[in-house]
Amino acid sequence: MSGFSELIKNFSKTRDFVRDFFINGFKTRSEFDKKSARTYDNEKRRVESWLGDNMRYNDSVRGRMITISVDSRRVSENPLYQAYYSKSFTDNDIRLHFFMFDALKGGGKYTLKQLTDILNVRYNALFDEQTVRNKLKEYVDEGLIIAEKQGKTAFFSLSEDRADEILAEYPGLSDAVKFFSESGEFGVVGNGILKSARLSNDLFFKKHNYIVHTLEDAVLPDILRAIDEKRFAAFTTFSSKNAKTEKTSRVVPMQIAVSAQTGRRYLMAYVPSAGRFGSFRLDRICSVKPAERYADFDKIYEKYLKNAPRCWGVSFGERREEGQTQPIRLTILVGENEKFIIDRLEREKRAGKLKQLSDGLWELTLDVFDATEPLPWIKSFIGRIVSIEGGSRNMRETFLNDVSRMDKMYNGAENDDIQ
Amino acid sequence: MTIFSEIYGTYYRIVSRLSGLDSFSDREVYDVIGEDGFRDSVLFLPQKLLPQADGSDWGLLKRGEDGLLYPAVKDHPRVLTKLQKMWLKAKLSDPRVRLFLSDEALSKLSARLEDVPPLYRTAHFRVFDKFSDGDDYESEFYRRNFQTVLKAIKERRLLKINFTSGHDRRMSRVCLPFKLEYSEKNDKFRLYCHDVKNGRINGGGLINIGRIDKITVGKIYSGEMPSENDFFRNIRARQPIKVSISPERNAVDRFLNEFAEYEKRVDRDLENGGCTAEIYYDGRDETELLIQLLGFGAAVEILSPESVRRQAAERVRKQAELLFGKNGLKELQPQ
Repeated sequence: MSGFSELIKNFSKTRDFVRDFFINGFKTRSEFDKKSARTYDNEKRRVESWLGDNMRYNDSVRGRMITISVDSRRVSENPLYQAYYSKSFTDNDIRLHFFMFDALKGGGKYTLKQLTDILNVRYNALFDEQTVRNKLKEYVDEGLIIAEKQGKTAFFSLSEDRADEILAEYPGLSDAVKFFSESGEFGVVGNGILKSARLSNDLFFKKHNYIVHTLEDAVLPDILRAIDEKRFAAFTTFSSKNAKTEKTSRVVPMQIAVSAQTGRRYLMAYVPSAGRFGSFRLDRICSVKPAERYADFDKIYEKYLKNAPRCWGVSFGERREEGQTQPIRLTILVGENEKFIIDRLEREKRAGKLKQLSDGLWELTLDVFDATEPLPWIKSFIGRIVSIEGGSRNMRETFLNDVSRMDKMYNGAENDDIQ
Repeated sequence: MTIFSEIYGTYYRIVSRLSGLDSFSDREVYDVIGEDGFRDSVLFLPQKLLPQADGSDWGLLKRGEDGLLYPAVKDHPRVLTKLQKMWLKAKLSDPRVRLFLSDEALSKLSARLEDVPPLYRTAHFRVFDKFSDGDDYESEFYRRNFQTVLKAIKERRLLKINFTSGHDRRMSRVCLPFKLEYSEKNDKFRLYCHDVKNGRINGGGLINIGRIDKITVGKIYSGEMPSENDFFRNIRARQPIKVSISPERNAVDRFLNEFAEYEKRVDRDLENGGCTAEIYYDGRDETELLIQLLGFGAAVEILSPESVRRQAAERVRKQAELLFGKNGLKELQPQ
């Protein structure tokens, strides 16, 4: 494969492949219809190079299937972080990085011209001032280099903050970084701190560990900036049905909603063109660009905060910003020694209301915008649901039909009462 | 300022590591690349690191007269970036951070990062399905227990832990703790530990930190450290759960996303257009997995093992009786 490189320029393209390997994991080469087979081979090789032992190969009659099979509960470090450590660069980039740091690490402050001269004389290099100026600007933005104006002249020096020193200075901080590098938002940044300090996580595992989320962190900062600056954001997504189609949307971001149980993250946003709130899966967003300010942000954000607790998850239902739906009322059977069911209802009911009706019978009321959204959770109480009322006709019928079909599936029963 | 930047990259890190060495052989360069690089880095990196006759290398290593290699720059300073400082600042607002740092250390670190904006604010994110009975991170008792077990893990120290089980029974265990596990869904920490009897490892288990009543700290364990892989292999269920997923209602996509955390083998089901999956799991999580699968309704069928299928069948049978049985449907018709 001529021209193959382990390093990549554009994260979003590779992100899509890695996600496909990881989530869908049962496609063969011929089933990847998004790009050419050559692209498939290159991306596959790159991912294999990053993930090594975590790749599995299953041969079926349809061909060799590539999967990333990871027992996510037993990993000390998210293997998908490797994708973030593969940015391509030029020969000048890396030379300038190490020579510049070496020149500045003594603590001196230099002008652009002084620094350029040092680099060219001491390191036998040929950097022109413009190249050095661009790199300095980049590193000032990254916080690596400090620029100070003295009169009209800028003096540059190296930041004094060192990863290993700061972790050693505050007892317990390295343990905290080990934990937060695998739990919580932007874990890859914490992982980078550990690597800088030549440490690794040897203390923590994570249950319900959806490691694929890290791939979305690349687009998150722009979304958060749009929220903080009260701006519109334009984002492009891949359609799940037609992988070749890109769609562009213009929304006002409100918040990121995270499901700890299903692994999905959503951009919650106001869609002015539709006059309603909506949710957008983060894993389908490939790029985000903050746009102009939205004049009514404060008013709409307040409305969002007021309405969001009435979502079971992320759905506002079919109504506009404030909906009116019938509350769902579940009657649950709880046996004599089954306090654990009541405990389960209490901790999992979210904004629902739980009350005891009589010995062994409890009622849970869920007043939510979209009555179908809690259905998967409701179905996890199968075996105990005495009745289900309110919500919507569609939701109730779906539930009854589902139970009828499941009964046929597991117990082979035909139920004459439901046709 | 960007997350995806070469300054965090593997190649830069390898050069930084080499800069900390005095001198080294070509072999050692290959070893470092092998340890820290990507799988194929040995095919690409050496020709850019090792001095080349045509000068096509980066010029970051020099060859001495003794034939050994020397870094052109020594002891590359590992500067903390603005992004990394912003991340640390954001974590100071996380209630769990006080499990690791004393109030004094937190206060000093906050002062150090005073002028740094946080990478994100708590209000930016909402976890909407976390259980509401999570561990109490504000409790000093909890904090002390957490720090005691963390210290014991690092020091390989034996502990006697008195705790209340999930069935409200008072229990006690002499153990060697080795890992902490956090669950965002439950918002709880659990401790993995090897049981110790008469100074020897004898099985092991899991203890909820939030259920600990008392900890007595013992001596350092001097025996051979048992294999973690053996421990986890022993708690794994003997057979995977095999399921069939139908293509209705986007069930395949939902299933693959929701069960992404599990090790599994997935294959296309040529009969129904969906897929089948074998899910590998810890034996003690069987009930949790069962109710998670039942949440998919008729779109997912548990095929095996027989014991799990039987549990599903029994719950469904009871449910059908409640809704459609003699005392069921006629009185409980949907309105």
